[in-house]
Amino acid sequence: MIAPMKKVSIVCMREDREKVLKALQHSALMMIEVSDTGVMGDDRESGEHQRRVEQLLRELNKYKEKKGLFAQPTEVNESSFDTLSDDTISLCNSIENLIKKRDELVSEEASLQSITDTLRDWAELKALAQDLKQTESTDVMTVRLPVAKYPLLEERIADLDASFEKVSVNEKTVQLLIVCMKEACHSLRALLSECEAEEIKLPIVSGKIADKLSETNKRLLEVSDEKNAINEQLEASAKSSTADVETLFEQYRASADRAEVRLSETVETVFIEGWVRADCMDKLKSTIEEATPIFDVESRDPKEDEEVPTSLQNSKLVSQFEGITEMFNPPKYNDYDPNAVMAPWYWIIFGMMMGDAGYGLMMAVLIFLGKKLMKPRGGTAKLMNVLLYSSVTTIFFGILFGSYFGEELFPPLIGFTSMSDPIKMLILTLVVGVLHIFTGMITKIVLNVRSGNVLDAIFDQVSWMMIIAGLGMIFIPPLSKVGPIIAIIGALIVLFTAGRAKKGIVGKITGGLGGLYNITSYLSDILSYSRILALGLATGVVGYVMNMLAGMVQNGVIGFILSLLIYIVGHVFNLVLGLLSAYVHSCRLQYIEFYGKFYEGGGTVFKPFGIRTNYINIKKD
Amino acid sequence: MFDSGLVIAIFGATLCALLGGCGSALGVMYAGKAAAGVVSEKPDLFGKMLVLQALPGTQGIYGFLIAILVMVNTGLLGDPVELTVAQGWSYFFATLPMAIVGLISGIAQGKTAAAAIHMTGKQPDASGKGITMTALVETYAILALLTSILLIFSL
Repeated sequence: MIAPMKKVSIVCMREDREKVLKALQHSALMMIEVSDTGVMGDDRESGEHQRRVEQLLRELNKYKEKKGLFAQPTEVNESSFDTLSDDTISLCNSIENLIKKRDELVSEEASLQSITDTLRDWAELKALAQDLKQTESTDVMTVRLPVAKYPLLEERIADLDASFEKVSVNEKTVQLLIVCMKEACHSLRALLSECEAEEIKLPIVSGKIADKLSETNKRLLEVSDEKNAINEQLEASAKSSTADVETLFEQYRASADRAEVRLSETVETVFIEGWVRADCMDKLKSTIEEATPIFDVESRDPKEDEEVPTSLQNSKLVSQFEGITEMFNPPKYNDYDPNAVMAPWYWIIFGMMMGDAGYGLMMAVLIFLGKKLMKPRGGTAKLMNVLLYSSVTTIFFGILFGSYFGEELFPPLIGFTSMSDPIKMLILTLVVGVLHIFTGMITKIVLNVRSGNVLDAIFDQVSWMMIIAGLGMIFIPPLSKVGPIIAIIGALIVLFTAGRAKKGIVGKITGGLGGLYNITSYLSDILSYSRILALGLATGVVGYVMNMLAGMVQNGVIGFILSLLIYIVGHVFNLVLGLLSAYVHSCRLQYIEFYGKFYEGGGTVFKPFGIRTNYINIKKD
Repeated sequence: MFDSGLVIAIFGATLCALLGGCGSALGVMYAGKAAAGVVSEKPDLFGKMLVLQALPGTQGIYGFLIAILVMVNTGLLGDPVELTVAQGWSYFFATLPMAIVGLISGIAQGKTAAAAIHMTGKQPDASGKGITMTALVETYAILALLTSILLIFSL
């Protein structure tokens, strides 16, 4: 059901803003409505710190080993959550310095590398770098050109007032030092461009190039050693203190979240407005009382036109299925919470779709182990519970249908299997479909009657139930006489009432005929349940194929081991596929065939202002 | 060649596994391409993407399933039964719904899955809606599967 809500306004002193918000955040009782014109808190630093630590975490993640599947988040006590650890803060600073140092080394390494790359070809140049300067009448240049063009240059340069020295040659290029008279400079450049030569600026101003090169190489080694040392340090701190840094991030984020709440305020007071579950009102008051003695809390019931967030309040079993409705569309505050009627049907239909006792057992064991090892929280935990519950129905229907890992180990309790008599099984699934749809329609009848629309219930739901039930009775011999009569009465009701909202005789007649045309949509809804048979068969036949394949190779010791492997891999594969299909298609049958009859949704979920946690788990004291 | 009933039945079984498999391979590829794009920016969504990408994979399994049923029914996996040409063609036609619908719906579902993946990339909370939209396409593959199964069982 949907929990009743109260609109709450809290007035407190401005200096208590932080204390009160902290109390609200820890208790996670109230969904604060922020005011667009309101003022943020004074704490501007936390947001900045939060971003800094986030950046740091991203860096540390590069050094950290991947978390295992069964890794647990760090546990933090609620009372110690608000105290920042000085050690962690100074640790963060030192890590930040290391990262800065590392970045400097990386860029130094890159520039050194580019220097050695250029100098390598010029190491044999005997002249000193400071001597490679133009004089009054001559120009000096260092050029590189492709090997193929060298003969052309050699031939043509003889005509110019220039001399050159071959400094080095490699597979692709030739490096030259050219000295030429200034007058010849222009024609030399033209020749050079013809030879695809490129002028190289040597990155050195004085001394011998060979010396500079060895010096740079030496420094390069040093830099790389230093960098490795820093990387090792970073790796070590990533291993030892990522958890602490993560906690610090969550702490900063919690303070930043408090600061970012925009609240209306006066000179002396602030005004906090929002939604609280009615049953939590006392808790809210005592929580604020603990934070400050000076405050005022007022609450009222929601008004008609207000958009109230929805908080669901269901038994533990039903609440596990809430995620399925939430994925479709959460209910509105004034709506009816469909989870209680949906949950048992989801449970049954999921079981029918899997329909294999062996796979049910496997589900139960694997999911139970997964829950114990991974300790999931929130939505994942609920989903795993849904699957765990559904393993019970899977085993049940598996025994009923006589399917054990795709084999018929024991005779089916219903007397036939989907392989031996698929038509009977098809009828069974369609009957389940009709019952499911009827549950939806009865729910709508109850809702209509509750809101005083008894006639609507008769005209729109009872009439169609009569048609469907009547048509069904035709196939049951003792009722085959009564069936048509019931169906015709239902059809007449539809014919005369479906157009009641339309104006004029013509409108009412076309409305009535159009209403009858809805039979197609009911028909397709009911036929849609044939997927239960199809998916059950798919799981069964693939399982059967795996058994057959394993049986084929079962000769000798190696064959036996191989067949075991096929059994394990094959059945796990089939189980995963079957689970995916059963999950998706059970959802679909709820959303379209079932909810289509009575439920709309479109509400907003109640998300109280609380501590957001990605990395840590806060333990209540 | 078509004077042996068994050959014609095998032709149908092959076609079913072949076209269903092709449809799923294409569908999963369309979805996979989209998913890879989303995961490159949002690695956290990998789990949701995997579910969406796997959805168009079922047609291949359905096609395979029908192929196996034909093999079992005609005794191909043990002692082959003598089939008349008419019986062979019956098997062939029985496999057609799954073969053709498997190919086309696999591709169509893949494209829907890709769209749903884009949607989930922008709004991770909407993955349930995306899964539902994608699963709607599969309805017709399931109906084709049922038609083929019921036909084969009635032969």
